Amino acid sequence: MKQRIIIPALFVFLSLAAALALRPQQEVVITIKDGMPMIPVALPDFIIRSSSAPVQAAAAEIHKVLSDDLKYSRVFQLLPKSYYGYISALDPDKIVFKDWESIQAKYLLTGVLSPGESGTIQFEAKFHDVKGERFMIGKKYEAAARALRRAAHEFADEILKAFGERPIFMTRIVFVSDRDGNDELYMMDYDGENQTRLTFNKVIDYMPAWSMDGQAIAYTSYRRGNPDLYLFRPFEGKNTAVAAKGTNFAPSFSPDGKKLAFCSSLDGNAEIYVVQSDGTDIRRLTFNKSIDISPSWSPTSREIAFTSDRSGSPQVYIMDAEGSNVRRVSFGGTYHDQPAWSPAGDQIAYVSRVDQVIDLYVLNLRSSQIIKLTESNAINESPAWSPDGRHLVFSSSLPGTNQIYTIDYDGANLRRLTSKGNNKLPDWSRR
Amino acid sequence: MKKSLCLSLAFLLTFLLLAACKAKVKEVPPPPQAKEQPKVEKVPPPPPPPLPTEEEIFRAKTLEQLNREQPIKMVFFDYDKYFIREDAKQALSANASWLNKFKSVRVLIEGHCDERGTEDYNLALGEKRAKSAYDYLLSLGIADARMQTISYGKSQPIASGHDEASWQRNRRAQFTIIAK
Repeated sequence: MKQRIIIPALFVFLSLAAALALRPQQEVVITIKDGMPMIPVALPDFIIRSSSAPVQAAAAEIHKVLSDDLKYSRVFQLLPKSYYGYISALDPDKIVFKDWESIQAKYLLTGVLSPGESGTIQFEAKFHDVKGERFMIGKKYEAAARALRRAAHEFADEILKAFGERPIFMTRIVFVSDRDGNDELYMMDYDGENQTRLTFNKVIDYMPAWSMDGQAIAYTSYRRGNPDLYLFRPFEGKNTAVAAKGTNFAPSFSPDGKKLAFCSSLDGNAEIYVVQSDGTDIRRLTFNKSIDISPSWSPTSREIAFTSDRSGSPQVYIMDAEGSNVRRVSFGGTYHDQPAWSPAGDQIAYVSRVDQVIDLYVLNLRSSQIIKLTESNAINESPAWSPDGRHLVFSSSLPGTNQIYTIDYDGANLRRLTSKGNNKLPDWSRR
Repeated sequence: MKKSLCLSLAFLLTFLLLAACKAKVKEVPPPPQAKEQPKVEKVPPPPPPPLPTEEEIFRAKTLEQLNREQPIKMVFFDYDKYFIREDAKQALSANASWLNKFKSVRVLIEGHCDERGTEDYNLALGEKRAKSAYDYLLSLGIADARMQTISYGKSQPIASGHDEASWQRNRRAQFTIIAK
């Protein structure tokens, strides 16, 4: 975000002028973020060097994945397809950059698909700087058709990285669903694809949280008749108990990867505790008879936001990571919970209940400004940030059942990711 | 003495003679023969089977049967609150008497919430509700070793509506018998 603010204001002016000039032909929506427009990218249809149906189908799918990813990024915007008709057809070996510049493309993404060996498909992607008339990044993938989706996400991440942004397209969302009977853990790609069941305990599995490296999930399970906290390594098939006395829930890993904060009533009352990320060396951080829950670490791992009803109603507080220096940050409401500290550290997303409706809000810690993200007669809760801080995932009872949605930091671009059964308690992986 | 004996003997003889004469004189037809049907007699009902004691009824039931009957009544709470209401005090007193009757019973006290709070806060609130019921039963003399608490937050509603009647049903402490 900071890097983009330093791009000269002239750029804003030019892009707006371009938008105005184009208005008679085509509606162009340029959303201004922090005074910066999104970067226009041309993504013409891929060149297919085969007449086989699987290759054709793969080309269409990869094109859609890349197109969806770039649109979702809030960094890039795609040129309307109709513009490509104004210039001569793309020849990937001899790109006429002037043509692309004439239709306002700043960057150009080209792809070539051809059949690989033994049924695989080859996909060659190239990203070009139109104005500089140069090739920027390129990758060649060879994979079975079903793996090409990942290749497309991977290349979209490469593009983000080239612009100094955090990659998000390979990230995953872990969540709880009752689609197969009882609450179990599932995960899916950031865009809702590849929904996969993770636990098979036939009891309630609850409140999952990703570790920083994306290899472990801390969660609550009732498998032994008590809500205990477990550390689960789904890709290794390992599951270890961390805390098994009282009610143990709402885990949160510290961004430095060293610690795990969670809520437990092991000493009789709901308090916040911290253990090492392997589950050892338990330490208690809060000491009072009210409810203290929902810890969320600051990106520096030096502070923890949490909820406490010590004032008489649940409110959001911040304390130092050792439990000292507690200060309240939510005011003006009677029910605030589920703080989620943004990856850049300047914002805290949380929920507030007003007249039986729960909505998502974002508090800017520097300006104390509050933005209301959702507006519905429903229960919207459990916000978690994407690693780039531009999106949030949450659950909503809006459709009558509980479903998982994502929304951008400014309330734009609401999208529903789930539909089977009830789905809740999402957490977004950091990588 | 001899005289009186003679006299009484004489009397007896006369009486016997008289009686004999009378019997002969009054020759009456024999009484009509009783009809050959036996007299209907009422058979006394069999003695009632011995009644099982409450204790025996209790012993015969499985945990599942008992829990279906819910001899330990649920108690309900106010919105966002976990204190024991007046109606809940009565229910808990009845529950305590039942628990005092069957001293081998151990219960799991489950705290539940309605859908209107967050997952996190409700899990903590459900625990507070279970704890309130536990503390109240403890104050009525139920041993702590016989009780266990658990919170399910808002994950296990018993009423699915989105109105006050359903929410009230869901804001509860519920008792499951886990041993008897």
